[in-house]
Amino acid sequence: MAVNHTDPSARPLRLSPAARTSARLVRSFAERETKALYKRNVLGWLWSLLKPLTTVAVYSLVFGVIYRATAPPTANGQAEVFALYLFSGLVVWNVFSTIVNGSMRWMDGVSELRKKIYFPTETALIGGAAATLLQSSLEALVLVLIMTVLANVSWTLVFLPVAMLLAAMFALGLGFAAAIVNARYRDIQHLTTIVLSVGFFMVPIVYTPDIVPDRAYGLPVARIVELNPLNSVIAVARDAVYFLETPDLADLATAAAWAIGTFAIGLAFFRRRSMAISEEP
Amino acid sequence: MNEPAPAPVQAVEVSDVSKRFRLELNRPTSVKEAVLSFGRRDVRHLWALRDVSLAIEKGSFFGLVGHNGSGKSTLLRLMAGIHRPTSGRITARGRVSALLELGSGFHPELTGRENVFLNGAMLGLSRRQMAAAMDDIIEFSGVGDQIDAPVKIYSSGMYMRLGFSVAVNVEPEILLVDEVIAVGDEEFQQRCLQHMERLRSGGTTIVLVSHDTALVRELCDRVGWLDGGHLRSVGDPDEVVDTYLVHATEPS
Repeated sequence: MAVNHTDPSARPLRLSPAARTSARLVRSFAERETKALYKRNVLGWLWSLLKPLTTVAVYSLVFGVIYRATAPPTANGQAEVFALYLFSGLVVWNVFSTIVNGSMRWMDGVSELRKKIYFPTETALIGGAAATLLQSSLEALVLVLIMTVLANVSWTLVFLPVAMLLAAMFALGLGFAAAIVNARYRDIQHLTTIVLSVGFFMVPIVYTPDIVPDRAYGLPVARIVELNPLNSVIAVARDAVYFLETPDLADLATAAAWAIGTFAIGLAFFRRRSMAISEEP
Repeated sequence: MNEPAPAPVQAVEVSDVSKRFRLELNRPTSVKEAVLSFGRRDVRHLWALRDVSLAIEKGSFFGLVGHNGSGKSTLLRLMAGIHRPTSGRITARGRVSALLELGSGFHPELTGRENVFLNGAMLGLSRRQMAAAMDDIIEFSGVGDQIDAPVKIYSSGMYMRLGFSVAVNVEPEILLVDEVIAVGDEEFQQRCLQHMERLRSGGTTIVLVSHDTALVRELCDRVGWLDGGHLRSVGDPDEVVDTYLVHATEPS
């Protein structure tokens, strides 16, 4: 970088001054996003559960009740509740879609600010993602509570936060790119909504992977679903909270590779391009 | 760190800096437009700064004068790290606090207090450091109870006063000020000037962009005159300002 802001009086500490600044900014932006979500409402936290729970209810009604979809039995075989099978996948999906959509909004929220003061812009998006994870952990908690009532819990639950974190990193990588492109072409946010609504049905959330036909309309449908990067992360979450099995190592590795790779590429792209956006008139 | 480090004499060093902005008339704002206007784009480049070199001594008060559009604000933004030079190098040694335009660096949705913390974080200060400075900041700005209201409801005067108050109360090592003092009332202007004097005697380097040549003559140790992106002269305030004024009144 051509601009060096060096602080000769800085004391040597564990984190570099730049890293400490970034960490503080992430925290500030996460707090701001959390407040925006919940401050306006006394029942804010409960309110935030309304949307995911409604989604679970509606899809359970349509697919579980009307189409009579059946879910595989849980670990203890007590429940074959379609709603819970759905919920366990939806928790991860919500992390993903909220962050991809939010990234563009978080970017817009700070782009004027960035024209007047320098700060690492990616901290706004990382902060937003952190707030989303916090909010989603509430959903996850509800899911785990229900599972506890059904006596379907095990140590494998520790993989649920892992799955959520990987989904968040994957989403943030895409979100970095979407935010940059959306800063120039404002219709990207509408396109993203469309892509996400298609994407929702491309992963086994409202259906089980085993009912997907190998081929349909000349397309290798099962293969497409299988290769979807979110497929493995959702499989990890399901194993963790529904089947109570140690997640398949292949799933875990695939999910981690996608998450880390996408995040790294997205961040590099974002850093390269975000400077130019602050220069637009 | 008991070794006395050799103190850098130059707080800001600008070497051969050029800055080019990309301007596009009728830039497409959607994918649809971009596809439709493919191959028919009207892109122009504007050189805001051309081969500018200057050094600002630590603890000095440096003024920048020039017409509108001469590149003064661009140079300040480069020093603040907001923009990157197209070519050349800028080095700023020390914590840079910049006060550019009205309400520099505030997030409209956040309250005054939250913005103070956010600004502090951007400048590399911890929450504890900002909390310690908070009372001074609120007092100096005079916004009072409104500190807990979102800044979007602030009047332009309050916005400005809080912005200035943050910029000067974070113990900046380099303070960049762009024309903002003119916004406040007489009393606030006086307080700002006094405060800048105090900072400067405490070792802060101050770079001021102003059209108020009397103020520049009074405050600055050295002045640079920018004209059309070129640095025409740097030196003694009276000399540089005089040449600038002669040039300014000449029919071009």
